[in-house]
Amino acid sequence: MIFEKRTERIFLAIFFLIALCIPLFLEDNSFFVGKVTTILILAVFVMSLDFLVGRVGLVTLGHALFYGLGGYLFVILTPEYEVVNFWIYAFYVMGVSALIALVIGAVVLRTSGIYFIMITLAISQMGYYFFFDSLEFGGGDGLFIFMKPETSIFGLNFLNLDNPTHFYYLALLGVLITLLTIKIVLRSRFGRIIEATRLNPERTEALGYNIFAFRLISYVIGSTLAAYAGLLFALQYGYVNPQFMTWEMSGTALVMSILGGMGTIYGAILGTITYEGLQYFFEHVSEDWKLFMGGAIILMVLLLRKGLAGYLEKLLEK
Amino acid sequence: MSTELFFVQLINGVQYGLLLFLIASGLTLVFGVMGILNLAHGSMYMVGAYLVWYFVAVTGSFTVAAILSAVIALGLGILIERMLIQRLYNRNHLDQVLLTIGMIFVFNSLQSILWGNDPYGVAVPEALSGSVPFTDNSSYPIYRIFAAVICIAIAAALYFLVSKTRLGMLIRAGESNREMVEALGVNIKSLYTIVFAIGVMLAAISGIIAAPMSSIVPGMGESVLITCFVVVVIGGMGSIKGAFVGALLVGIISTFAAVLIPTMSNMIIYIFMILVLLVKPQGLFAK
Amino acid sequence: MSRIKFLASTVLATTLTAGLSSSALAATGDPVRIGLMLPFSGIYAQLGEAGRDGLKLALKEHASELHGSPVEFIELDTEAKPSRAPELASSMLNQHKADFVVGPVHSGVAMGMIKMLRGKDTIMIIPNAGSAAATGPLCSPNVFRTSFSSWQPSYPMGKVALEKGYKKVYAISWNYGMGRESLDAFKESFTAGGGEIIEEVLLPFPSTNFQSHVSVIADKNPDAVFTFFAGGGAVKFVKDYDAMGLRGKIPLLGSGFLTEGTLQAQGEAAEGVITGLHYAEELDVPKNREFREAFNTEYGHYPDIYAVQGYDAGQAIASTLDQLNGDISDKQAAIAIMEKLTIDSPRGKFTFSKAHNPIQNIYLREVKDGVNVVQSIAAEALEDPARGCKL
Repeated sequence: MIFEKRTERIFLAIFFLIALCIPLFLEDNSFFVGKVTTILILAVFVMSLDFLVGRVGLVTLGHALFYGLGGYLFVILTPEYEVVNFWIYAFYVMGVSALIALVIGAVVLRTSGIYFIMITLAISQMGYYFFFDSLEFGGGDGLFIFMKPETSIFGLNFLNLDNPTHFYYLALLGVLITLLTIKIVLRSRFGRIIEATRLNPERTEALGYNIFAFRLISYVIGSTLAAYAGLLFALQYGYVNPQFMTWEMSGTALVMSILGGMGTIYGAILGTITYEGLQYFFEHVSEDWKLFMGGAIILMVLLLRKGLAGYLEKLLEK
Repeated sequence: MSTELFFVQLINGVQYGLLLFLIASGLTLVFGVMGILNLAHGSMYMVGAYLVWYFVAVTGSFTVAAILSAVIALGLGILIERMLIQRLYNRNHLDQVLLTIGMIFVFNSLQSILWGNDPYGVAVPEALSGSVPFTDNSSYPIYRIFAAVICIAIAAALYFLVSKTRLGMLIRAGESNREMVEALGVNIKSLYTIVFAIGVMLAAISGIIAAPMSSIVPGMGESVLITCFVVVVIGGMGSIKGAFVGALLVGIISTFAAVLIPTMSNMIIYIFMILVLLVKPQGLFAK
Repeated sequence: MSRIKFLASTVLATTLTAGLSSSALAATGDPVRIGLMLPFSGIYAQLGEAGRDGLKLALKEHASELHGSPVEFIELDTEAKPSRAPELASSMLNQHKADFVVGPVHSGVAMGMIKMLRGKDTIMIIPNAGSAAATGPLCSPNVFRTSFSSWQPSYPMGKVALEKGYKKVYAISWNYGMGRESLDAFKESFTAGGGEIIEEVLLPFPSTNFQSHVSVIADKNPDAVFTFFAGGGAVKFVKDYDAMGLRGKIPLLGSGFLTEGTLQAQGEAAEGVITGLHYAEELDVPKNREFREAFNTEYGHYPDIYAVQGYDAGQAIASTLDQLNGDISDKQAAIAIMEKLTIDSPRGKFTFSKAHNPIQNIYLREVKDGVNVVQSIAAEALEDPARGCKL
């Protein structure tokens, strides 16, 4: 069973149940449908980060590079005013992202710890500057995606991406697939070696495993999932901007992941919802919302030793 | 580039580098001794700048304002360490990162509430406001020379503190073996409080020194934070000597890059850092 | 333990209710809903606050023009982050059903907003962002601007430089839309008249490491320097320029933002700096003097251009509502009215061009005793060429 913990099963069951039904309650309000869609897309991004940081042990502050690339690659690969097939181009985008991740990973994985953090940050910042300074790719103002892709599979068309509710379900599907993918990977033999690599790299290496290779593959998987999230984010409103790949974006995702409970994967969903929910709440309450946000974060770090998921598990695991 | 201009740029680079060292020294000291990655370090720099601006407006004297600000920063450091940082010693590094990120939010918000969001400036103190004539057209500001001298003085003081005093000995011992130091009866808790407070004060002092040369705006903490990290990583996390060398290198390289390849100059520092890490994955003077 | 549970559930409950209740709020009476999408935190916060203060003052002064319709403000902090722009714009449009959306300050955010709001049932008024695209290729019937296009303040400065006899100019700015467009505009008129740009430097945005460049300027000794910087960058550049001894030796020209909202921080270093802008605080226009006193009475400090632009957005809204008798339901009628408005602005009266950008005077100012003193009108009724706009 890929969901071993009781808390996990309970949480995910409730989550998906609510998530499936929410659009029915938000029928008329395309803003709210959009808002929860964005939260789901962010959850995919944060889950992929949680996989890398919490399970593989690679703390990266450059994850947003791939998030931004997801959108930019779509803009670059598709002809401007043409309606393309979503699945085919998602495949292209993820494919190119995987290649880029392979190359970058091969370089950065030679470092570790704080140095790995800094080098990943540096690379994402360089990506940011590249797009910010470029005139062909819209520069600091970003670019529009004028035509949303269509989603037919073998001629069967069931999702219209211009419809916010349909897009929502696409995002929810993304959450499900990402969750399952990560969980299956972690339960496999590959996943077990990854776990061992994180807990005791020297021992694992002594046992004959090429931990560099395992880490590299994990890095590619995590980054590709992030690119998928970025693709969805860009398509949602049809807009890409270099700001999507800054270290602040990576940092926010890291905050969401730690808040939720590092390494639990389902915690990433919980953390994203909580962070976004808190921000929405505080923003509407006070202009000095950052003060409350910071205070809430500090309180949660001090009180919740293992994040929100850890707290839930303490309550529910016997 | 004429030799005259080259010489001027070299001075610019060294002076910038020295200031970077001052900012980075606190960060690397705290990490080296306590293992804490203080992302709110940039906020301390900002606090120093805003405090000195405020006190100059109130007292009219830069010296008084500077001393007041430094003392307040020291107190603030003690407060933060006692109330917040202390609780996280046994937690993992990421929790510390999260805490300091929360602190960034809080400090930015406090800055906006207490002092407002307009850009501020601090006038160069009267005694240091002249300049040394250089060419027919230009002269080099005395204040920048003064700032460089102060940075060197503080670097020397730090060196003296760490290598020649009892506190420094405790710091070096605590860096290598915390349990041993504790077992020897030293109050490690107080040591950590002092070290953290010094780190905060160093950041604030660099904000104070930089104030007459920069603009005091919201977000100024985050903009130095990254450069600060780059310096510390290049030098080797925890090494003050490394931070000194790293800072000078970064200062000189970015100054020359700014004039030789202006549009690429922001990337140059990252490229340099990546190159250093590829050759020496733990920085130049890693422990 | 249970206290934490209680806290957590309260937070969750309040979040949900806050979300649901704010949509209920929109249903009472027939208020005019004005959304403010401005930065209220971060480096642009000063501009966001000024714009909002100006807007609210205008609506207060012109309350009678609203014919009894109450005004409801919805304020959202953009943090000048483009990633939040479409979502916040969607909130304004779909959740709050804003009749007007006033914003933003930052051009990247403007792009995100325009993507969402273009052609929709709301009127977007830009009180600052100067990006050419907003009244250029992306112009739209329901998008207006009460500020400027990046081209406007800088274009006349080329002619000014030529008239002052400067032949060789060193140009420097940040490498982003506003910076590039400002330098290009200056270049356009300056080189057309035979001037030479001896060097053009574009710094990474928002770097403020000017010291090395100021040293180069001293070395190259041009006739003058032309620049665009704003906010903190403007403060630092002017101070570094002065500290290097260049003030008074090499004339410093700029797009007016170099000395807007920054004079107090710049102090003596700004004396003698010459800039072009569509406003100046001492502008000898009766409306300006009235406005400045009213603003000071209301807020306790004097306004700058960012407040003026917000104020004029407010005036535009009020005048439109006046002609519609307070009923804002027909947006097409509102747009038709807005297009024909003459705004009695503190900068002097202006009208909107076909691309909905102000047709306005650009004043030549020089800093004297800590004030931008108007020397002359550098360009009268200057209309942005709106290249690429199909309106």
